[in-house]
Amino acid sequence: MFEFLIHVSTMACLFGLLALSLNLQVGFAGLVNFGHIALFGCGTYGAAIAFANQWGPVAGLLLGGAAAALLALAFARLGRNLGADYWGIATLSIAEILRTFATNEQWLTGGAQGIHGLPMLFGSLPAPWGPLATLGLCAVLLAVCWALCQRLVNGRYGLALKLLREEPQLASSLGYDLAALRRTPLVISGLIAAVAGFLFAHYTTFVGPDQLYSAETFLIWSMLIVGGLGNNLGAVAGAFLMQFLLAYVPFVKDALGLPSEFVAAMRLTLVGGGLLAFLLWRTQGLIPERIGGRHA
Amino acid sequence: MLETILSTESIRKSFGAHCVLDGVSLSVRKGEIVGLLGPNGSGKSTLLNILSGFTPSDGGAVNVDGHDVTGLPPHAIARLGLVRTFQLPSMPHRMTVREVLQAGCRREAGLGGALRRWRYDAEVARLLDQFLLTRVQDQPASALSGGQKKLLSIATALRSRPKLLCLDEPTAGVHPNLRSRMVELLKEVNAQGVTILVVEHDMEFIRELCGRCVVLDRGALIADCAPRELVENPRVVEAYLGKAVEKGKLTA
Repeated sequence: MFEFLIHVSTMACLFGLLALSLNLQVGFAGLVNFGHIALFGCGTYGAAIAFANQWGPVAGLLLGGAAAALLALAFARLGRNLGADYWGIATLSIAEILRTFATNEQWLTGGAQGIHGLPMLFGSLPAPWGPLATLGLCAVLLAVCWALCQRLVNGRYGLALKLLREEPQLASSLGYDLAALRRTPLVISGLIAAVAGFLFAHYTTFVGPDQLYSAETFLIWSMLIVGGLGNNLGAVAGAFLMQFLLAYVPFVKDALGLPSEFVAAMRLTLVGGGLLAFLLWRTQGLIPERIGGRHA
Repeated sequence: MLETILSTESIRKSFGAHCVLDGVSLSVRKGEIVGLLGPNGSGKSTLLNILSGFTPSDGGAVNVDGHDVTGLPPHAIARLGLVRTFQLPSMPHRMTVREVLQAGCRREAGLGGALRRWRYDAEVARLLDQFLLTRVQDQPASALSGGQKKLLSIATALRSRPKLLCLDEPTAGVHPNLRSRMVELLKEVNAQGVTILVVEHDMEFIRELCGRCVVLDRGALIADCAPRELVENPRVVEAYLGKAVEKGKLTA
């Protein structure tokens, strides 16, 4: 049970990083990204390709980060001529194209079977110290990224992002270059997602295209909506709440003596039902966005 | 002779077969307050949209403070000093009045702005006070009345240090008391060296505020004179009231 708790906490930290990074785009800059999982995929495949070519984990992290930054710039470039909703659909399409690419380009990505056997980051430590060290690293990185995001959005820069989100025409009339203003949060967000992907790859020791289904993007979206769009604490809280709820569904099944099919159905119900409930009754999420206050 | 801050040369614009601007040339000198008048549909707002880069023109040139800005995007034109407000100022729901004013200054909002420590912003406090917004500074900007939104949009525009402030119908839907205050405020702003071009229907407001007026009718410039001369200009009278009909003609 202790190992399971460490596992769920580690996964919650990784999803917390993803929720933070998506929140920077959607919650603050108003960039409706439905292809966020592709930025995470840059991190996982960066780690896997570096491992397959024996370049070492540092190269994997750099490769993943560079790929995510380039993809984020491509997303931003695409957004110059598209409205918010069309841009969202375009990001979803790009994520699906990249997943198909990863499925088919076996020479680079290992194809549908993916790449196995990545080393765990603290694999040399005996249990439970190895997983505990991984959890510690993930938790520290989550805290660092949270502090970075807080610093970004609580300052004047954050106000500029909010103006972009709420009134782009007004922002433009005041001299803000909307394309440049969109680019920066996308790249920072991409880098955070890539770090999460890198950690995930070395934690699960396997990278494959099945990890990049668009359903994963919508799971991160639901974490944000439940936690509170436009609030970094809410994003992390939503990720932890959803992750723990989903992880403990099998225990409920066992306690009630229900069939195995119940687990998958209950998880879907939890995500869909939770999402619907918050959209209907608490649109601002568990921890709403802070309006007003002091700004650097 | 005062230096020219804005000049347009033969601006043309059509929407389909409908010609909205037919070769409009005008100039504004530094330090002036110029009124841009005309009946509904005369092309005033379209001209303002072209000057500020929000609508591309079909032909002609726009020069702002010595720079050819024809075809430049709105943010580039704003950075050269031409900042505008909108006829129906839409304000953010999830930002307070003070936050909107703080965000108004682009130079302070770069990525480096995220690293700066909080400090009391004297300019924001002064503008809140000057534009009668101190009492509502912590309210969501979208919750303001129409007149307060107009005041906030002007104050926010001033945060980006404009050389030329273009106002699109600043008194539309504004309480008469606030209208008088707006005249005083804009004169104060002008005294600080900001040139003002104001699109307006309210003749009283124009007479109190402007030193010069240009009048558009059906996409063409028909008058460029002092406000008091407007009523004596037959082309302006005709544009607003229609052509005088000779006695007896209607019964024919």
